[in-house]
Amino acid sequence: MPRTIRIPFTGGDPVLIRGRSSFLLVARATEKFPLIIETDTEELVQGVYPNDLIVVSAPEGGEVVPALYLLEMVATHHLPVIALGKSHPASRRISYVVSAAEKIEMRCDIRRGTHPEQHLLCTADEFAGMILFANENNLVIENCREEISVSQLVWELSITEVQQKSFD
Amino acid sequence: MCSAGGPIEIDLNDPLKGRGKKYRCNDCGQTFTGLGKHPMCPSCQSENVTEI
Repeated sequence: MPRTIRIPFTGGDPVLIRGRSSFLLVARATEKFPLIIETDTEELVQGVYPNDLIVVSAPEGGEVVPALYLLEMVATHHLPVIALGKSHPASRRISYVVSAAEKIEMRCDIRRGTHPEQHLLCTADEFAGMILFANENNLVIENCREEISVSQLVWELSITEVQQKSFD
Repeated sequence: MCSAGGPIEIDLNDPLKGRGKKYRCNDCGQTFTGLGKHPMCPSCQSENVTEI
């Protein structure tokens, strides 16, 4: 029976939601920015505002780190996202998809990466119908049908640039 | 019902055409195609925009 779950969602760290075979990575936007959505014919722009969600879906599961990188590129660096044409052959190669919106519905009946509407996100069927949004200090998951596990991820991307002293 | 390996394709119209509205930014003059309820200028992040 579908149920509604509320998960504490106060810090800036992303939340990892795992199902049987796939996962979602959820973060909250901390600043406003224009999300640029590139298609093969035009550029679309959507406003993202604090407390909107940024969600990465891995419909076939896989490693969490690439999903974190994708989340970071959109949430922190505001890189554009790409929407493919619906018959584009690359859609079957896409392992991770991302959406940013106030409220996001999980769908399994749309082809990955082919729809620019940010309120929809492709997932495995175990998450289909779920609706995610932030409400005060909680992440709310409506229509949750499956058993899920929830983790808070703590991570820090650091880099050190080492200057080469000579070039031969 | 669907599977992670091969999502069933439902034709949600052509997803890449006519999905946005045209706006002009009242602060910097940029024109753009916006999606969603809260369009934002991609150049100056202004929300002071007018549909054209």
